[in-house]
Amino acid sequence: MTRFFMLLLTGILAACGSAPVSRLLQAMEQAQAADKDARRALKSGELLRAQHDFARVLVLQQSVDDATGVATTLINLATVAHQLHDDETALAWLDKVLLEKEQIYPLESHITAAFRKAVILTNVARLSEADSALQLSEKLCAVKCTLRFGIGSLRARLLLLKGDAESALDMAQAMSKEKDVEKEEQANALRVVAMAEEKLARYASALQHFQAVLEMDKSLGLSARIGEDLNGMARVSTQLGHDQEAAAYAQRAALVNESYRQSTAATHE
Amino acid sequence: MALLTDKDERFKNLFVKAAIFILLAAIGVGLVFLLTGEKKGAFTEKLPIYFVADSGQDLNEGMPVKFSGFKIGKLSALTLDEQGLVQGQVNIEAKYLKLIRQDAVMSLKKEGVIGDGVLEISQGEKDKPALVAGAKVRFERASGLEQAVVDMKDRVLPILDDLHQALHDPNGDVRQTLKNLRELSAEMRGTREHIDRVLGSVDANINNEAGPLLRSLRQSAVNAEALSARLDHELPALLNKADASMESLRLTSEVIKDAVQRSAPQLPGMLGEVRETLGKTREIIGDTQEMLDSLSTHWPLKNVVPAPEKGPVRMDSHD
Repeated sequence: MTRFFMLLLTGILAACGSAPVSRLLQAMEQAQAADKDARRALKSGELLRAQHDFARVLVLQQSVDDATGVATTLINLATVAHQLHDDETALAWLDKVLLEKEQIYPLESHITAAFRKAVILTNVARLSEADSALQLSEKLCAVKCTLRFGIGSLRARLLLLKGDAESALDMAQAMSKEKDVEKEEQANALRVVAMAEEKLARYASALQHFQAVLEMDKSLGLSARIGEDLNGMARVSTQLGHDQEAAAYAQRAALVNESYRQSTAATHE
Repeated sequence: MALLTDKDERFKNLFVKAAIFILLAAIGVGLVFLLTGEKKGAFTEKLPIYFVADSGQDLNEGMPVKFSGFKIGKLSALTLDEQGLVQGQVNIEAKYLKLIRQDAVMSLKKEGVIGDGVLEISQGEKDKPALVAGAKVRFERASGLEQAVVDMKDRVLPILDDLHQALHDPNGDVRQTLKNLRELSAEMRGTREHIDRVLGSVDANINNEAGPLLRSLRQSAVNAEALSARLDHELPALLNKADASMESLRLTSEVIKDAVQRSAPQLPGMLGEVRETLGKTREIIGDTQEMLDSLSTHWPLKNVVPAPEKGPVRMDSHD
């Protein structure tokens, strides 16, 4: 009888110890599969599907207490919401990472969330809030982190938007000369240089820099920014008295923007 | 009993109550027997038919007789006659006997590859008269496991030889594809360099924005070049793995062949070999699955599955 009870107890203990492990693995596998689906949907421009899939990933990661995964997915949900032009929702997702009282999310996630919050707030011209978020990311980034260049580039852009074109120019020029950085961020820094020069009425130099940025954006295939660069070139050419060139740039910008708008609309359909 | 009955109200009419209880139980048991018997066909009229077999091997009294997949009777008796032949008697439900014609054949088959034996009776030609009780039908043994294994060996070995030839023939498709990919790699490198030059010389005043398209072409060339280089590195290993699997299959087929030759008359021994072979085949299937997974990941004609991304999706300071 004693042996029977010992055997029964062993069986119960084995069952208690093993069952949650298999559920855990199952949930993690499901989360990975859903995350893959979401990223694929995002790449193909299916934003609503990506949003739905990331929400599913979040639930699964929360069920297995995967804090790092949860932080990444919250940031991804914010990014998708931003791309859907729902910036309030995007900020709410990012705040879930930033306002978490328990230090459960990794530092890198805090830096990324603060940086993306600053980008979104800059885009909607809430400059003082953007400044606070950017300061937080700068503080967390300290000496060296993967987002250092992006943070610097955004700081220069923010300075320009606040009217401090000189400081923005200095900072952006320093950033654009750095090597071993992402091409996108290098182009962003150079664009800030061109815009700061435009603000400072250094039109010839601004035109040169806009042309350089245009070449970079063309090589990256970033249609929306190509339109922005061409518009900048049209403005500067007007200031230089080159009306014919300005009209040509403006026409090209309109064509690129229309083409981009149509392709985006087709993807969302 | 009288004393208890007198003093306790519950014991009044005890005998009647007990009798009713026993009667109900007996009726219940009887009903169960009746229903079970009905279900088993105990009350169904059955008629005997006979067959003669050269041997009683694999024939057992009680084994089912099937017609079109339905059980219609069973082998009720086996006897040895004066000539040493086996006389079999099967009892078939009367209602089904009219469906079977006089030229029907009784076949001894296996349910599944290594399942139990079963007697299967065919319908026969429709224009023949129906079978009557006490009639005799022809008996045969259906293709056994040995025959199935020999058939499989005869079919598999030529395929293995063809595959082996295809993998090793320097002018074969596989080796030629590898060679072509190497050539493609060199061409793609040239194409990329050419696109680089074109990108460098694009006139800023060109009205249509050809840059993104060229950049996309360049990226495709770079991807193809990288993929080709990766394949050049990995395909020989995959081919070796394929060779190893082919060798395993060949060894397995030899095991089957050997088993057939050694144990043809002794089915039980044969079954042991077959089980072992099935185990090995499962292992080979596992190896083959692994190889296929590997191919599906790297084969250039499929979409190359990228390593899963982990971090946050991309967003820069200007998004």
